[in-house]
Amino acid sequence: MPRRIVIIGAGQAGRRCAEVLRELDPAAEITIFGAEAHLPYDRPPLSKAVLLAKDSGTALFPRSAEFYVENRITLHLGEAVTRIAPSDRRIETAQGRSLIYDALVLATGAMARRLAIAEADDPRVMVLRSLDDARALRPRLVERPRLAVVGGGLIGMEVAASARQMGCAVDVLEAGERLMARGLPATISTYMANLHRQRGVMLRMNARLDRIESSAQELTLHLADGFLRVDLVLVGIGASPETALAEAAGITVADGIVTDRCGRTSHPDIYAAGEVARFPHPMNADVSTRQESWQVAQEQPIAVAHAILGQDRPYDVIPWHWTDQYDCNIQVLGETTDTLHQIERAEGERLTLLCCDGDGRVRGAVLINNGREATPCRRLIASGKVFDLAALADTTRPLLSFL
Amino acid sequence: MKEWHRVASEEELQPDTPFAARIGEMQLAIIRLADGIFAVNDVCSHEYALLSEGFCEDGKLECPLHQACFDIRTGQALSAPATTAIATYQVKCENGDVLVMI
Repeated sequence: MPRRIVIIGAGQAGRRCAEVLRELDPAAEITIFGAEAHLPYDRPPLSKAVLLAKDSGTALFPRSAEFYVENRITLHLGEAVTRIAPSDRRIETAQGRSLIYDALVLATGAMARRLAIAEADDPRVMVLRSLDDARALRPRLVERPRLAVVGGGLIGMEVAASARQMGCAVDVLEAGERLMARGLPATISTYMANLHRQRGVMLRMNARLDRIESSAQELTLHLADGFLRVDLVLVGIGASPETALAEAAGITVADGIVTDRCGRTSHPDIYAAGEVARFPHPMNADVSTRQESWQVAQEQPIAVAHAILGQDRPYDVIPWHWTDQYDCNIQVLGETTDTLHQIERAEGERLTLLCCDGDGRVRGAVLINNGREATPCRRLIASGKVFDLAALADTTRPLLSFL
Repeated sequence: MKEWHRVASEEELQPDTPFAARIGEMQLAIIRLADGIFAVNDVCSHEYALLSEGFCEDGKLECPLHQACFDIRTGQALSAPATTAIATYQVKCENGDVLVMI
């Protein structure tokens, strides 16, 4: 009898699980449930190409509807799963459907955090998480409003860049001391702050937003040290993993669904894929990590699909994420904490920053407009070799020559 | 009507070092490999980026933005995020010039 596999979540991770499973097991019955009405889409274009109405090619929808038909992947879109009954390996949906599985994948993703202050439910206070969010935000930005971005993280700064390019007046309110602190070393945060200031974005660091006052004409943001009047607010203060179904089913959750390196949860036959999963850090097994990146949604499901078929193929790639703001591309590989030594390799507008430990091993790298060095950097990191740090700064030598 | 266009001189092309060429609006990456010189469309099929600014090795060209990989000889997309091929063009060398059929 063919294996019955049910995937909850029709995002990138759910779609990847299905397509990898299909390659590995031609006979499996594969069913995906998605709460949203859209075909599975990738999120990176939402804050850029979708807002700017640029042709995003296949970046938004990597697979057409025909792909799912041809690969016998059943899609139930606009149909949320409401309950998992692990003891009889069954799920139930909002439409009253009940389905038995042999293996269940939770690819439920994350949801945007909202502000817990007064008036944050005004329709002019928006978030950007889904395609519907992006399609609702674009027509507002077209009106060239005064926009306040609450949160100087990756989504907030990508929206700030898109909004500036659309002619909006943009203020960014960041509670911390620097931009994108979770993903970038301080030197690169400074670089990005300068880039945004040059493009006319007003940055307010260490900002504290106490409340929002709304009137028919505008929104007034009351800050600890003053106020700001705008037409639109975009809240980008992070995301929380969608773990409610898992918790209700008694699966172990700790800021994400806890899995091993192959995506197995605390419950047999149940797996977690993509950004909802918390797994051992690929570069340091002593700590666990939950990553919200294109890479984890793309690659970690390969481990999950293999685990479902009883094969161990741990997810152990070097973490990688990127951001595109204006015409600037930044890529971050491995570990880039500020406690590491930083070796700068600058060539004109291009920069490679190597992050090295005290022994001389390359632990991570940041590339500004220098993507051609990502693969060489990945190899330096993966080698685990000890390098002469002074020599690494010599830009007359290509990176691969050090290996 | 297709015709031959000069895009580079042979001596400009170093192995595994993509050369960005322009014919009107058209953007091409010209690459010298061990078995000859090849021409592909310089624009990634995933999102706008110039492949000639990417890493090149083993007959493969990697997009500098998101690391999609393409086969230089066939244009085939070898890895995500790209799923569709890039165009390839016929190349010939004459008197030290590299010409592409467009």
